[in-house]
Amino acid sequence: MLSRIAESYFWIGRYLERAEATARLLAEHHQLMVEERTVPEELAAAVLLDALSLPPQAASNAADLVAAVVGTSSDPATVSGAITMARENARGVRESLSADVFEALNAAHLAGIRGPIVATSPAYALYRVVERLAVVVGQVDWTVPRDEGYLFLSLGRSLERLDMMSRVLAVRHDQLWPEGGPVATLRASAALNVFLRTQHPMTGDEVRRFLLLDGDFPRSMRVSSSNAEEAVRGLSSRGASDGGDLLREVGLMRSQLEYAVDPTPDEVDSLIELVQQSSARASDVVAKAFFRPVGTIVWSN
Amino acid sequence: MSSLDSVLPAYEEMDGDLADINAVDALKSVLLGLGEEGLTDRGRLIDSYFNRQGITFSLAGRERPLPLDLVPRLLSAAEWRVIEQGVAQRIRALELFLADVYGSRAVLDDGIVPRRLVTSSSHFHRAAWGIEPPNGVRIHVAGIDLIRDEQGVFAVLEDNLRCPSGVSYVLENRRALAHVLPELFTDQRVQPVAEYPERLLDALLAAAPAGVADPQVAVLTPGVHNSAHFEHAFLARRMGVELVEGRDLYCRDDQVWMRTVRGPRPVHVLYRRLDDDYLDPVHFRPDSVLGIPGLLNAARAGRVTIANAVGNGVADDKAIYPYVPALIEYYLGERAILPNIDTYDLQDPEQREFVIDRLDRMVLKPVDGSGGYGLVIGNQASDQQLAKLRAQVLEDPRRWIAQRIVQISTCPTLVKDGQLAPRHVDLRPFAVNDGEDIFVLPGGLTRVALPEGSLVVNSSQGGGSKDTWVVAEPDELLYTPPARPTPRLTRVLAAVPARVHSPTTHDERMRQQENQQQQSALAPAQEPPC
Repeated sequence: MLSRIAESYFWIGRYLERAEATARLLAEHHQLMVEERTVPEELAAAVLLDALSLPPQAASNAADLVAAVVGTSSDPATVSGAITMARENARGVRESLSADVFEALNAAHLAGIRGPIVATSPAYALYRVVERLAVVVGQVDWTVPRDEGYLFLSLGRSLERLDMMSRVLAVRHDQLWPEGGPVATLRASAALNVFLRTQHPMTGDEVRRFLLLDGDFPRSMRVSSSNAEEAVRGLSSRGASDGGDLLREVGLMRSQLEYAVDPTPDEVDSLIELVQQSSARASDVVAKAFFRPVGTIVWSN
Repeated sequence: MSSLDSVLPAYEEMDGDLADINAVDALKSVLLGLGEEGLTDRGRLIDSYFNRQGITFSLAGRERPLPLDLVPRLLSAAEWRVIEQGVAQRIRALELFLADVYGSRAVLDDGIVPRRLVTSSSHFHRAAWGIEPPNGVRIHVAGIDLIRDEQGVFAVLEDNLRCPSGVSYVLENRRALAHVLPELFTDQRVQPVAEYPERLLDALLAAAPAGVADPQVAVLTPGVHNSAHFEHAFLARRMGVELVEGRDLYCRDDQVWMRTVRGPRPVHVLYRRLDDDYLDPVHFRPDSVLGIPGLLNAARAGRVTIANAVGNGVADDKAIYPYVPALIEYYLGERAILPNIDTYDLQDPEQREFVIDRLDRMVLKPVDGSGGYGLVIGNQASDQQLAKLRAQVLEDPRRWIAQRIVQISTCPTLVKDGQLAPRHVDLRPFAVNDGEDIFVLPGGLTRVALPEGSLVVNSSQGGGSKDTWVVAEPDELLYTPPARPTPRLTRVLAAVPARVHSPTTHDERMRQQENQQQQSALAPAQEPPC
């Protein structure tokens, strides 16, 4: 597989995951700002912007926050931007991507996040975005052969999922809104029901521990790191290996989470930080090992 | 009784002296700002939200969403305090009454309530006599229906101490409204309602049989065909407990078991949403296929707690209702904070005669009815209906109670074409008793009679609902900065590289790719150099 194609698959996975996770996080954060008006809007907006690495001056109230995080197609840290970038990457690999995936992704891109409903009922609009992205993921599941391309896409999804989960947890809804905060963190991670069925009581610390360490929930950091490791092993068994650095990085992360024994809240925090850094390093290694970036050489002057 | 002869106008919620003026003004300005078209659009959006989420109740076999009106009903902190205290007081007294009826029966010996009313109640179950609930609670969950009379005074319309339903709509209405009309919440301090499932679970755990280290709670539903099945599933999901049907359970040696793929697992607390009659074919209807044979014996043996307790219906019987203020005096030595509506006991010959002469100015309710079925409003009934009613009352007066027609309060409501018009509303606050404390969920379910002039708010009779806001006093909700500092994570994040990859936006490459296409399209004739 061409390095260029592999790179696009990897980033389609990352951007899909980022768009979906950011949309959920924004919807639930906004919902809390609306329903529990105990936290100054300026502070609540700043916290979310910071967690998403968006400029702090982008918004100081709920409405501006929605506009800033829904964003524009040119900023890939925003929902619109991530969808656009996923689609741009897909455009570059149309010949190898299944037509169904491209069509679903293109439809999500064309539908966009627009109309008065975004300003009036943002949570409603954002969950429609999540649905359209689910169609793309469903088409990937149904139509993409499990070859290197798929493995790169999976690896991208897993690494981005780790990154986004660390951002969701960095918001610390429980500290801002002691009442509704833990529920919002769980909703933003689509984990409310599974948490309620398996855990008690619902405190901020328990929620963080769950999203870090649960062994069954597909968005927990432990499961994501295990998925990343599986993708790396799959690639190397097909001959796409970087020599072992990548496997060491994700394997170490996975084992730290799998064998963590009853960590204290502070230990949970340091594990989250470890995962954040480790997944970023892994992404770097992937780029260096497989995509072999070359600068654009311009033959002039 | 003089008020029978003059029809007073209904009290308008938003114009009352007790209303929180700032909150009402803020609400009005947002609603008017939306305009007719805006309101209609949002109304459509909220319907689609409910339909999509499957937040429905079944009526005559069809699932439909409970219509949610866009205009919330506001209660000031002062108004709410009265309701909260009044509801808790009423439940405390009714708990004592039930303990008495299914125990020493002093209240009957003292003549506070006529013995015949208790023993003739279809919800009085001798089988429940002597079953002692572990923490003394029989009314784990209550829904007390309130209305506001012409003077704006909250009065109790009826008590629901068996399986009061509707609390799921309170939570879903709030979420839906914040989803679809977030701007309404601007400049408002609304008390949150989301904690209800947690409170209920705590109360159910507190009611578990003594000595059980890790009690298992389950919600018992009649099944998917029950009208309130959405709510049963909602509560089980939000409490994180199993939702079971009768066929999932069995009793052996006075212990209730749940059939699972890992073998039987014990159940210690059953929050049942199934009527007494169907609960246990050994003691009640032998033809019940929804119940669990032996359940009542397990409860009597103290191995399982049934919530709400069996036999609670005797306390919310409409014929007992007139005596509740006296019960509050008797048990608590207090005056009732929330008054009753004037009600006539039709077994008393004098009162019966008074009512029969004025049937066209009375509301008659069957004592064992609910959901507004069988209810007759005198001034809206035909002569034929009234004649039939008169015959029924004379034949079996125990089956009916009569009340004066109250013009229940109105609240602005979205009607056709984006117009706002007054519609009659009631209020069902929900209370949870954990044995130490009675928690009344701030707000409750406001039901609204959507047809113009209608006084019947039941969802089975074309009623809708409103989100109900208890507007908090400003000092109740102040933000306190977190005790533990937010970890350094976000700063690390900002420095992370490689979050972006865009293959096609390198300007020079993109320009040249475009040019390639143009050349081939526009200059085909030119020969390539060899």
